[in-house]
Amino acid sequence: MRNGASKPIDNNPSDDICPVCKSNRYLNPSLQFLINPECYHKMCSTCVDRIFTSGPASCPVPYCGKTLRKKGFHKAFFGDLKVEREVDIRKRVGAVFNRRQDEFETLLDYNNYLDDVECLIFDLVQGTKEEKTKAEERLKAYRESNMGDIEENRRAGLEEIEMEKRREKAEKEAARQRRMAVLREEEEEKLDVAKSKRDVLERLANTDEDANKITQQAQKIILKKSSARRTLAEGAESNGSARDPGLTLRGLKKKEAPVAEKPYDPFGGVDLTPSRYVLQGDYDNEWLSNAKSDIRHMAGGYSLQEYYARTMFEAFSGLGVFIEDEVAGRSLPAAPASVGTAAAVEASAGKMKIEHKMELDDVF
Amino acid sequence: MSEDERYCTSTQYRLWSFTPDSLLALRSRTNRLAADRVREAVRRVREARALSSADTSEAENGRSASAIPEGEVDCLTVDEELKLVAFYCRQTLSLGDHLKVPTDVKATAIQYIKRFYITNSLMTYHPTDILKTALFFATKTENHYFRLTKFADAIGGTKPEDVLASEFLLTQGLRFTFDVRHPFRALEGAIMDLQALSKGDIPALPNGEAVTGPSPQNMEKRVRNAHGKARDCLKTSALLTDAYFHFTPSQIMVAALINADRDLTEWYIKLKFPASAGAPQQKVLATVEKCAVMLKEIDSSSEPSATEKKELGALMKKLKKCRNPEKMDLVGLQRAKREGEEGNDEKIVKKRKLEREQLTKEGEVFGPGLKKS
Repeated sequence: MRNGASKPIDNNPSDDICPVCKSNRYLNPSLQFLINPECYHKMCSTCVDRIFTSGPASCPVPYCGKTLRKKGFHKAFFGDLKVEREVDIRKRVGAVFNRRQDEFETLLDYNNYLDDVECLIFDLVQGTKEEKTKAEERLKAYRESNMGDIEENRRAGLEEIEMEKRREKAEKEAARQRRMAVLREEEEEKLDVAKSKRDVLERLANTDEDANKITQQAQKIILKKSSARRTLAEGAESNGSARDPGLTLRGLKKKEAPVAEKPYDPFGGVDLTPSRYVLQGDYDNEWLSNAKSDIRHMAGGYSLQEYYARTMFEAFSGLGVFIEDEVAGRSLPAAPASVGTAAAVEASAGKMKIEHKMELDDVF
Repeated sequence: MSEDERYCTSTQYRLWSFTPDSLLALRSRTNRLAADRVREAVRRVREARALSSADTSEAENGRSASAIPEGEVDCLTVDEELKLVAFYCRQTLSLGDHLKVPTDVKATAIQYIKRFYITNSLMTYHPTDILKTALFFATKTENHYFRLTKFADAIGGTKPEDVLASEFLLTQGLRFTFDVRHPFRALEGAIMDLQALSKGDIPALPNGEAVTGPSPQNMEKRVRNAHGKARDCLKTSALLTDAYFHFTPSQIMVAALINADRDLTEWYIKLKFPASAGAPQQKVLATVEKCAVMLKEIDSSSEPSATEKKELGALMKKLKKCRNPEKMDLVGLQRAKREGEEGNDEKIVKKRKLEREQLTKEGEVFGPGLKKS
C-alpha cells in the first residue's frame, strides 16, 4: 500500500496517466484523479464510475484487493498522497485522543500523553503491518474505554470554535460600527461648515454690520465647534475602549489578583537579636580609631558594624552554658540512661567512636 | 535563637567539652591502652631481635639491646603525661614567639595539642613531632599563611616531611574539627561594652533602661587596666590550663576579668543577669568563680622553677624509655604507607593493561559484545 502510494509521486509523468486504464491527460484534458482512503490508490474518475457504480468492488490495482465503495472516493487535497494519508490518520486519531492540557495535573504528564499519541500515530503511518494492527487495536480500546470523555472534549472543542467564531463576528461588527461612526461624523462636520457659511452669507446680505467682523466671528465659531467635536469624539472613544478592552487585544490571560508575597526570610524565622546586650551603632575603641579613618580599610568595604556585632556576640555567647551540668549526662559512657538531649546522644555516640578508635587507631 | 543556643552548635561544645571527671576518665583510659600497647610492642620487638640474634654477631646484639631496656617497661602515669603535655604547650608558646606568629595561632596550636593528647598518649606519639604539625595547622586555620618550607627552616633542624608526617594522624586525633573558639575577641567585646557603659547612658540589656545604679568609681581607668591584665591572662594561663574543656570562651573571658578587677566584673555580671531573673546570676557567678580559680593555678611567668625543671628532666628520660618502638619513626611509617599504596595502584594499572591487551588480541577493542536477551 505504501509502495503503491509513493510510486506515482516519485515519477511525475504518471500524474497525467491513470494507472488503471492508462488514459492520458493529453487525450482527455478533463482527466481527474480520485482516491479512496481505504488504500490511497489513485485512479481517474472514469475508472471509478466504470468499476464502482454497480456496487462495492475490489481495488483494480494489482495485489491490493481492498474492497472499495464509490462513496469513499474523493479528490486528494495534497499532491503527495503520503501526506494526504497522514493527515487523514491524524484527524482520525485526534478525534479520539482529544484530551486538553487543563485535564492534566502537570505539564510533564500532558507532554507524556502527547508523546504517546505521537508514537501511536507514527506506528499507524510508518509502522509495519503488525505495528499498525496493534496501534489500531489500541486506538479502538481507548475509544471504547473513554467514550464519555471523548464526547465531552469534542463538545468542548466545538463550543470553543463556536465562541471563537462569535468573538470574531463581534469584533468585525464593532469595527464596522466604528467605521460608520467616523463616516457619519465627517458628514455632520461638512454639513455644519456649510450651514455656518450659509448663515454668514445671509447675515452679510440682510444686516449692515461690518463685513470683516462677521466673517471673523463665523471663523471663530467654526473652529470652536470643530474642536468641541474633536474632544467629544475622543471622550467617546476612550469610553468605548474602557467599556470593552478585549476588543482589539487577543489571547490575553485572565488577570488574577496577585497574592501578597511575604518577604523571603533566609533564616526561616530564627530570631538572632541579642538578648544580653544592646548593639550600639558605634563604639569608642582606641584600637579601631585608626581603622575608622583609614581609607585603606574602608575602601574595601570593611564594615565596623560587622566587627562590633561579632565581638559582642562572642562576648556573651555561651556565658549561660554550664558545661558541668549539661555535659555531665553524656560524659560517662557507663551511665547512658542519663542521656538527656539529642546533642548528648550524639556526643555519647561520638564517645563510643573514640573508644572504637582507641582500639583500631592506626593511621599507619 | 539565643547566644547560648548558637554556641551549643559549635564543635567545641559538642565534641570538646568535658566535665573534669569525664576528662580524667578519658585520659586514664588512653593512658592504660597506650601502656598496654607499648608493652606489647616492646615484647614483639624483643622477640624479633631474639630470632635475629641467632645469626648476628654478639657485638651488634649488645649494641642494639641498649636501645630498648631490659625488664618490664616503666610507663608514664596520667599525671606525668599531663605535666609533660603542659611543658610542651609552653614550648609551643615559645616556638610561636620565635616564629613571630600571632596569639590566636599559638592558642589554636595549643588547643590542638591538648585535644590530641586526650585520645592519644605521649608514649605512642612524641609531642615534639606533634607540636610542629599542630602549629602548622594553626597557621592555616587562623588564616596566617606560612609557607611550609619556610616554616620548617625557621624551626630549625626540621624538614617539611617531619611537619607533614603526622598530618593525618593529628587530623584524626582532632576528629576532623579545626574550629577553636577563643576568648580573645570576646574580651574585646566586653571591654567595648564596658567603656560604652562608663561613658554614656546606654541600656545594659535589651528593652532595659539606662544604667541608674551607682557605677564603680574611676570606671574608665579601671576598665583599661582590667583589659590589659585580662588579656595577658588569656594569652597564657587560659591556654595552659584545661579551661577550654570545662568552660565556654565567654566564661573564660569573664573569669580573666574577675582576676583582673573583681568588683568591676561582679557589678557587670549583676547588670547583665539581674537578680530579678533568679538563679542564673548565682550560677554564672559560681561557674565563673570556678574558672577564675583554675586560671590562677598557673601563673603567666613562663619560666619553670628549678625543682620543676629537675622533675621534667626526669620525666623526659622516663618517656624516652617507654616510647612505643613501633611508632618512633613517623616519617618512615608515612613513607612506607604511601609506597604501599602506590604499589597497590601499580598493580591495578598493570591488571587493567593486561585485560586491555587480551581484548585487543581477541579483536574486540570495545569490549565483549552485548549479551542478547
